Amino acid sequence: MVEVAAQPPVLSRKRKLPSLMRALRLPEKDPLALIGVTIYVVFLLVALFADFLAKDPLEILFLDDGNLAANLGPSLEFPLGTTNLGRDIFSQLVIGTRSAFMVGLTAALAVVALGTLVGLVSGYFGGLVDAALMRLADIALGIPFLPFVIVLAAFLGPQTQNVVIAITVLLWPNTARVIRSQVLTLRERGFVEAARVAGSSDWRIIRVHIAPNILPLSLLYGSIAIGWAILTEASVSFLGFGPSGSVSWGGMLQDAYASQALSRGSYNWFIPPGLCIVLVVVAGFFISRGYEEVLFPKLKD
Amino acid sequence: MRSVAIRFGQMLLVLWAVATLLFFLFRLMPGDPTAAYIDTTFTAEQQEALKKQFGLDRSLPEQYALYFGNVLRGEFGTSFRSKRPVFEMIFEVLPNTLALTALSITIAYIFGVLVGAWLAWKRGSIAEAVGIPIVLTLRAAPEFWLGMVLLAIFAFGLGWFPSGGANSAGADYGSTLARMTSADFLHHLILPSMTLALYLQGLPLLLMRSNMLDVLQEDYVMMARMKGLPEWRILLMHAARNALLPVVTAFALGLGASVGGNVVVETVFSWPGLGRVLVDAVASSDYPLAQGAFMFIALILIVMNFVADLLYSVLDPRVAHG
Amino acid sequence: MTLLSVRNLAVDYATKGGTLHAVSRGTLEVGAGEVVGLVGESGCGKTTLARALTGVVPRNATFKGGEVVFEGKDLLAGPPAAWKDLLWRRISFVPQSSMNALDPVYRVGTQMEEVLRLRGGLGREAARNRTAELFGLVGLDAKRSVEYPHQFSGGMRQRAAIAMALALEPSLVIADEPVTALDVIVQRQVLDTLRDLQSRLGVSVLLVTHDISVVAYVCDRVVVMYAGEVVESGKVGDVLAAPRHPYTMGLTNAFPDLERAGGTLAPIMGAPPDLRSPPTGCRFAERCPFAVARCRSESPPLTVAADGHASACWRSDEAAALAETARDPATWTPTSASAA
Repeated sequence: MVEVAAQPPVLSRKRKLPSLMRALRLPEKDPLALIGVTIYVVFLLVALFADFLAKDPLEILFLDDGNLAANLGPSLEFPLGTTNLGRDIFSQLVIGTRSAFMVGLTAALAVVALGTLVGLVSGYFGGLVDAALMRLADIALGIPFLPFVIVLAAFLGPQTQNVVIAITVLLWPNTARVIRSQVLTLRERGFVEAARVAGSSDWRIIRVHIAPNILPLSLLYGSIAIGWAILTEASVSFLGFGPSGSVSWGGMLQDAYASQALSRGSYNWFIPPGLCIVLVVVAGFFISRGYEEVLFPKLKD
Repeated sequence: MRSVAIRFGQMLLVLWAVATLLFFLFRLMPGDPTAAYIDTTFTAEQQEALKKQFGLDRSLPEQYALYFGNVLRGEFGTSFRSKRPVFEMIFEVLPNTLALTALSITIAYIFGVLVGAWLAWKRGSIAEAVGIPIVLTLRAAPEFWLGMVLLAIFAFGLGWFPSGGANSAGADYGSTLARMTSADFLHHLILPSMTLALYLQGLPLLLMRSNMLDVLQEDYVMMARMKGLPEWRILLMHAARNALLPVVTAFALGLGASVGGNVVVETVFSWPGLGRVLVDAVASSDYPLAQGAFMFIALILIVMNFVADLLYSVLDPRVAHG
Repeated sequence: MTLLSVRNLAVDYATKGGTLHAVSRGTLEVGAGEVVGLVGESGCGKTTLARALTGVVPRNATFKGGEVVFEGKDLLAGPPAAWKDLLWRRISFVPQSSMNALDPVYRVGTQMEEVLRLRGGLGREAARNRTAELFGLVGLDAKRSVEYPHQFSGGMRQRAAIAMALALEPSLVIADEPVTALDVIVQRQVLDTLRDLQSRLGVSVLLVTHDISVVAYVCDRVVVMYAGEVVESGKVGDVLAAPRHPYTMGLTNAFPDLERAGGTLAPIMGAPPDLRSPPTGCRFAERCPFAVARCRSESPPLTVAADGHASACWRSDEAAALAETARDPATWTPTSASAA
């Protein structure tokens, strides 16, 4: 949760680009943010080179003696053991990185793009447009999040894009509200007023004076939204409404839960996917906190 | 008073919009709501009769009017699967969900507020350097996974708690109240509520801490020190009292959101609650039941959003005595 | 009789850019029943000095030496609990008028009763009566004690702050810019109330302000601060009419003089030194039109003349002549400053 009490530095026209770059630069002094970035980079590399690291995650494996390689503990051949159907858990984990990033990045992008656009329009133009958009935000916030995603995924079909659509439809209001209030304060600033008096068009004012000032804030919300999207996708998959046929961490956990991995104590099966989700989501939190302290330094002493 | 009326009007608008959305969501989906219900052995007449029963033979506006009338009367129809009235089924599980939600969110907020205030007081210390990452990590953990880990350790591993359900099989209690106050019920309630509390504590903790940090900078806190007031009084009566305002709002919002968010935890622990009813209904294409459960979850959420607004204006004299 | 005597008090702030020596020579005296003004431009350390006298300082501040002798006891050397025990009972504080000094969630009367009961040991009933009495004392309607701070005007809040400060009949009230944020008419009214109560109750007041005219209006003595150091102090008449430190000369010039009509405004050029690395010599030398070589290498001590008028300037024996030159605005232009 971000309180927007402090305001970002006023950027003069000349120094706009350097300042913007500075605002977006990684908060390298913050150890948590650095950890977050490192986690992202590692998982991103794993996602990119998944094919080299993993076998076919759905292939049913057999031991040399011809028996099914089921419920094996960790070994050199199977670093995290196998599932009850004889599938390699490590390979599933590696391939699952892809779907996590797919959902996380696309949903975050969609949420932030929609939220920023609505916030900009609402805050800048005000009046009826503002009232209508904000009532729409109220309505979106009145829809129970996970139940809606489940119902939509169940009705529209269990494809990844439907989960992304559902997440976008419900999560944009948070970003929009923050961006809107930021635009409202920016609009009252001298440089916006001056540009208006000088005859700049609305579009130009938004593009030149307002958008650069709210972009860092959008990114802050984006880094949080990645985490929410991944968590939501995992929950939906766990409940059995996830994309079928593809391998995801949430799906692995559902598989483990349904196959009595808990009562059998197969920690090697259900701990790793959960930890991966935690790592990716917390990385987003760490990075966003780092940005927050750059954007709103008042939080520090 | 006027602003309360406006907020109330907005709440009604949101309720109407969500109910309408639900109507279209359940009508415009691929196929026909009765498709899953209608058995291939049904005769054409039987199918027609069934469609008539659900009003599907009429035009869309007529269906909408019928639907709205039913929603207003609390008439959600009959479950496809169990053939029982949806309303009755929902009310049967609602107490379980409310008990789980209320207990877990209360634990989470008491813990979060106290630890958040303490971390703010101790800012810059090791407690903070270690505490914040732990809290963030817990908040990043999927609820259902936390539940699975607790289940594996405490139910299957150590055998301290039952592995699911709200009551032991075969037990019979005279009334809902007797059932819910039984030791057996509490025994079943502990693991799911701890799971939810672990997940929920992050928000109040971080919110309280950040508010406290702001409030501790306030002039009236410095003035309280200059007056020589005891530290505990400054911390509790001045700093925490002010920092608590937004947390109380978040509590009301969280209570509303949690009823719907329980879905996964209820599934992990086979907790017979509203969320699990919804999941089962959606999975088995029991549309009347799914629609009713969804509407109920939404109703609780929207009403709590409204209550949160009201609470804020009651607790903050700057709003109450504007 | 001296009530408070502060000698060479030093306060540092730990900041991101390094240690900031906010106050390095806090030296002043407040006599019983006296009103002493503490003046200087913003950032000179006057507010830090004033707040430090209560022992309640921001987290990043530390005391770096000196003494704070109140009623014969050195508070800085003694146990913190003893200092804290004096707060509000013997030493109270009126905050800046721009400050949010009243807790927004409690009624003004409740906050008054809190300090009366917890620090004054009064019972519920007695505290309520005393609150009404205090409201009357500062010219507030006692009926309004049930209102919340945000329902008060700025002037009313400041009156309430004064009433609060007087609640336990302290011997010293430290007032930090008590009227700065108020408009001129209300400033007068609040100052009149403060002055009136001070003389009636015989309480001593240390009044922090950046406004020389406030000093002239209500103070008996004045202490001038520059860049963390007290540079001059004495009776208000002496210091304002015959300043001995060039900074005071510039400061009195910078305000429109009420007595000498047509006085010209001559702001002092330049900016105060960076207190994270203050210069070795006189801290004003950089901006002083009369600075000589010695001023830049050696820091002048604060010396007290026979008449009690203290100043810290190597050329204080030429003070009368310098003050005459300083009245000419041309003295303060950059060219003449560098020429001298």
